[in-house]
Amino acid sequence: MDYTRSYGSYQQRYTGSSGPTIKNPSTQVQQSQFNDRDCLNDMLATEKWLTDGFNVFAREASHQSLHNDVMHILNETHQAARDLFNLMFEKGWYSLHPEQPGQIAKEHQKFQSYESQLPQQQRNTPYETGVMYQPRQF
Amino acid sequence: MYRGSYTQQYRMNQPPRVLSTKDCAYLTDALSWELLAAKKAYSLASQCSDQQIKHQLEQISQLHQTHYDILLNQLNTTEHDHEHSGYQGYRQ
Repeated sequence: MDYTRSYGSYQQRYTGSSGPTIKNPSTQVQQSQFNDRDCLNDMLATEKWLTDGFNVFAREASHQSLHNDVMHILNETHQAARDLFNLMFEKGWYSLHPEQPGQIAKEHQKFQSYESQLPQQQRNTPYETGVMYQPRQF
Repeated sequence: MYRGSYTQQYRMNQPPRVLSTKDCAYLTDALSWELLAAKKAYSLASQCSDQQIKHQLEQISQLHQTHYDILLNQLNTTEHDHEHSGYQGYRQ
């Protein structure tokens, strides 16, 4: 295993998957100094931290116009984090591990059976438009 | 100063367009976050050799400057003070 390639990202190391790893070929960077990969990692960490802050701000804001502005900023900050993550994935600095299909099927079956516990029984099929939460009108 | 004009004249269905002390505290916090983030992204962009990464970081610096202006505008009381009197309820 080439440990020199797998430093620096915060993702956990997954050991139990049998599927092939989803990953691009790693773009090589200089190992010693603060490199391009460190730059992206640093900015991604900042964006993640900002979304936490703006989430609290959006929830605590008093009037609607302030809440709307903060929600807008929160959304765009999430988008920025997403763009950085995708760019790092493109450069081969993130790898994903598929869950085993049998495990997914097991969980699906389990929560499908829990569905009978939901209080409102007249639900439509998932993703069908129609019943949605409507904000209070003034 | 707001106490007189907002007590019991009519029942408000949501808070009026007035900055609370807490709003103000959050706004000044958030402004300093955005200022730092904009400077940081710009500084990181200048250190990068890959043009694609450099460009992405510059875009993000620009985004945080835009956010800074949005927040700063919420602190601009001269604009909002006039809107209090004409407050008509829900507005997006």
